[in-house]
Amino acid sequence: MARSTPTYTPVRNYAIGFFLSACLLFTDISYGTFAQLRGFFHSSALYAQIISDGMFENIGNAFSSFQKNKFLLQENKELRDQILRIRTQDFIERKDNQEKIQIIDFYKTLIGKLKNDDIDIFKIASIDLRNYLCCSTHKIFLHNPNHVQAGENTPVFAGNSFIGQIKNTYMSFIEVILFSDITHVLPVRSDLFYCDARGLGKPMLISCHLDKNNDTFNNQIGDIVYTSGLGGIFLKDIEIGFISDINRISINEIEVVITLKTNPLEETFYGIMSKKTDEI
Amino acid sequence: MKFSHHLIVLSTIILGFWIDDSLNPLTLKIFLELNFGFLIFSYWVFAMPEKLHSSAALFYGLVIDLFFSNVIGFNMLFFIATSYIIHLYVFRFRIFSYFQLSVFFSGASIFYIACKYLLLSPYNYSYVVLIISFLINAALWIGVYFTMRAFRRSIFSNL
Repeated sequence: MARSTPTYTPVRNYAIGFFLSACLLFTDISYGTFAQLRGFFHSSALYAQIISDGMFENIGNAFSSFQKNKFLLQENKELRDQILRIRTQDFIERKDNQEKIQIIDFYKTLIGKLKNDDIDIFKIASIDLRNYLCCSTHKIFLHNPNHVQAGENTPVFAGNSFIGQIKNTYMSFIEVILFSDITHVLPVRSDLFYCDARGLGKPMLISCHLDKNNDTFNNQIGDIVYTSGLGGIFLKDIEIGFISDINRISINEIEVVITLKTNPLEETFYGIMSKKTDEI
Repeated sequence: MKFSHHLIVLSTIILGFWIDDSLNPLTLKIFLELNFGFLIFSYWVFAMPEKLHSSAALFYGLVIDLFFSNVIGFNMLFFIATSYIIHLYVFRFRIFSYFQLSVFFSGASIFYIACKYLLLSPYNYSYVVLIISFLINAALWIGVYFTMRAFRRSIFSNL
């Protein structure tokens, strides 16, 4: 039986290695023979460490910079949102103020024209644009959130002139029939004639049929037309438009086309004299 | 064994010595000197004696001396001596219990530490350090043994 297990390398190699190592150790401890070599390896290791530290630091910096950028982007987004919100709020406030100014101006105009300060102002809710631009029915609807009592046929004012009459009221809306509606008749006058002008079913146009010779009216285009007040509804002498065309219908009959002063498409606010005042 | 396998083994030994270098300044305050590098080298020789011969031990020792030691030859000397003893008694070690293996390899590592102090830093030689290090390294051997065995089986499954 063997005293010990067999080895894979002969003892000679270990002995050589042992003595070689011992010699190296002795010379290095006693004379510092390999100091340069050790120094070279230590400095190499230090360089490697410095480089790796630098790399890690750069990666760390990049990561923190990315985090910082992310934070800045988030902050930027929040600030942009806030600016947008402030801008929108400012826009709404400006529009609100403009609207208030418009209402005040309109109110002043109404007082100046109608000589009355008991006036209700309404905002437009809708206009039947499809019919207004093509057909005979010309109507608008006004908001009446406070359910102001507005009598039927009460004149409606917009811009600098009358534009129509109240036809009906529905809950919080007021239906207004415009002068240009073919069913509407408005007593008007100019310097030469009085007539009942009927709507033409075209935007801003009404017309009168007069039993007069065309030659008499040749030079009257551009003449101002006023309300005559004869219907008992509209105040007298309010400018409503001007003569824009004269058409001959027969030898003794002509059609005077009047273009209205106020374009309903450009108006936002409409004024109505209160029922009480209107009755007086 | 391929050169790449030698590099893997050497890398683990270098890692062990790097851990020692990093932790020993802290553990010496409690009179403990860790010796992971030596234990890992011992494990490799113990696990693959037919693959790691005297030349490998000499080469590993030289590399460790160059990077981690203050003198050339110290680790070469101890690695080749340890390698020889392990080769000599490897089959006997195979029938040892974990406790016996721990005592042997921890004892070898303490001998390594003691010689290091005697040769390179005799003024700091301390029996307290040696005794505490012996106990702790004996416990650490178990961890090194199982960790390195799992690593060896995953890396060198074909060997």
